[in-house]
Amino acid sequence: METISLLLDGFSVALTPESLMFALIGSILGTLIGALPGLGPANGVAILIPLAFSLGLSATSSLILLTSVYAGAMYGGRISSILLNIPGDEPAMMTCLDGYPMAVKGKAAEALATSAIASFIGSFIATIGLVILAPILARFALSFGPAEYFALFALAFATLGGITGKNQFKTLIAAALGLMIATVGIDISSGVQRFTYDNLHLFEGVDFLIAIVGLFAISELFFFLEAHAGDGLKQVAINKLKLTFKDFLFVLPASLRGAVLGFVAGVLPGAGASLGSFISYTLEKRISDKGTFGTGDPRGVAAPEAGNNGAASGALVPMLTLGVPGSGTTAVLLAMLISLNVNPGPMLFQQNADLVWGVIAALFVGNLVLLLLNIPMVGIFVKLLSIPPKYLMPIVTLIASVGIYSITGSAVDLYFMVGFGVLGYVLRKVEIPLVPVILGMLLGPEMEKNLRHSLVLSDGDWGILFSSGLSIGLWIVAAAGLILPIIVGPMLRARMKRNAPTAD
Amino acid sequence: MRLNDRVFGLILLILAVVYGYEATKFPEPFGGQESVGPETFPILLSFLLGIGAIYMMVKPDPNAKWPALSMLIELAIVCVVLMGFAWAIEPVGFIPSAAVAVGFLSWRMGASLSKAAITGVATSVFIFVIFNKVLELALPAGILGF
Repeated sequence: METISLLLDGFSVALTPESLMFALIGSILGTLIGALPGLGPANGVAILIPLAFSLGLSATSSLILLTSVYAGAMYGGRISSILLNIPGDEPAMMTCLDGYPMAVKGKAAEALATSAIASFIGSFIATIGLVILAPILARFALSFGPAEYFALFALAFATLGGITGKNQFKTLIAAALGLMIATVGIDISSGVQRFTYDNLHLFEGVDFLIAIVGLFAISELFFFLEAHAGDGLKQVAINKLKLTFKDFLFVLPASLRGAVLGFVAGVLPGAGASLGSFISYTLEKRISDKGTFGTGDPRGVAAPEAGNNGAASGALVPMLTLGVPGSGTTAVLLAMLISLNVNPGPMLFQQNADLVWGVIAALFVGNLVLLLLNIPMVGIFVKLLSIPPKYLMPIVTLIASVGIYSITGSAVDLYFMVGFGVLGYVLRKVEIPLVPVILGMLLGPEMEKNLRHSLVLSDGDWGILFSSGLSIGLWIVAAAGLILPIIVGPMLRARMKRNAPTAD
Repeated sequence: MRLNDRVFGLILLILAVVYGYEATKFPEPFGGQESVGPETFPILLSFLLGIGAIYMMVKPDPNAKWPALSMLIELAIVCVVLMGFAWAIEPVGFIPSAAVAVGFLSWRMGASLSKAAITGVATSVFIFVIFNKVLELALPAGILGF
């Protein structure tokens, strides 16, 4: 019952006119960002963090703004899946399977509306799950000591590649690179300068916001340039919406199942939104397919969309309670929290209860705003989508640069941003994932602190890392997270590929 | 040919060794050496990166397609333009430098020269006005100081 009263307090924060305004702006921006091919939720949130930061918004307002962007980007991702047959990000891949055929059949508006409703159901149910599960997990996490935390961080990296991850060693390399960047600067506990080479700009370390924008947004610009993708793609025209209550009831069971599965996949380490939408689609296909799946069955749109959005909210559970994000976008949300001086983890629910519950309530509100916004306004979003990237990408790059510049008002930050852009381009070319780099930069200081803390407690005995049952359990899961994908990964990927649309 | 991963693995291995070596050279912290110092974690990381790098060299993935030399040069020019924007933002001012940078990018992505120029000028003026007048974040006015 305590939870409910806290949640109601949260709503009293989320329903003030100011918060509603930020939720609305965030939802619109998020949908736009999610809809633009190649930009994706992680990018969008990354570009907006420095802006929210330098505008001097309060922690609650920025969080509401950015969680709405996050939720909105998940909604927007499906627009390009359905109209262009191009997923905005990986989890949206399964939506193409039935969404695009529906659009081709002249039911684009219905497909979009169905996915909006399914997204709403997915997020709604998963947010309820978050409300129930997060406080329990937070209480459990209070029993973690530094050794357990160190093991937990290792687990986060080990499972980040996900069960479908391709090359575990490349995830390892990426994580090591990120952690190494995090060690640059003055060491907090001893005051020793590390890897600064007497460069004043490195004393405080490398700002992860600059790294995120560089690695994601600037490298994306390079890829667009290289692919000569400036003209945009041909999209299916949109028709007038005819959606009845019967249609809604038709997709409701699929949405509910997808939501629950997605939530579970989101909470579990290493599964994430891609697997959430994949499982939801395959299960729905097994339950209800009578030969219509893959040819534009609305249930084939509803299930993966609900799963995708369920997983997105589910991923917030480990992020908020343990400080360990499970996906790229939640990693960026973690960056946002850290830059607002809010440290996620079990203490968050005690020290910043109003803030956490405000955010959770904002998720509910944001999703409702999105649903109301999306059904009537989808036409406007589609129009904006048709602005060719040759105008849009330079503008996005400029906005990203302005955000970075406004953090400290220093041009040096912009040099670093371009440098990270080049690094991101090269890493993507050799197929080293970028998310573990970011996560390494974010978790590095905490991970090192916990390692040193536990080693000081044990007087230098490394055995302390494996001394409690809990930490051994965490290490076992971490090891499984590294090894399982090598065995199971090829099989799962083959199945996903067989289901995936053939690119035309 | 799986040269990509081999070369990159080698670079990473060198990085790991240099990084680890540098870590052992940290000055001793004030108050004497403890069981764990500022170098413990970095040394651990250098081993981690080293293992990954060696694996990458031993079992490389197939090469991704690298763009032609002309495209690499073009990307390098884009980098120079972005760096130039960063350099010019204070002495020259936000509007002219942003207009040139955005216009150039848009032109390289396939817009016609006149449309690219319009995009550049319009965007930079618009963003300048929004940031300085509405959001009250000062972007440097530079030579157009008004």
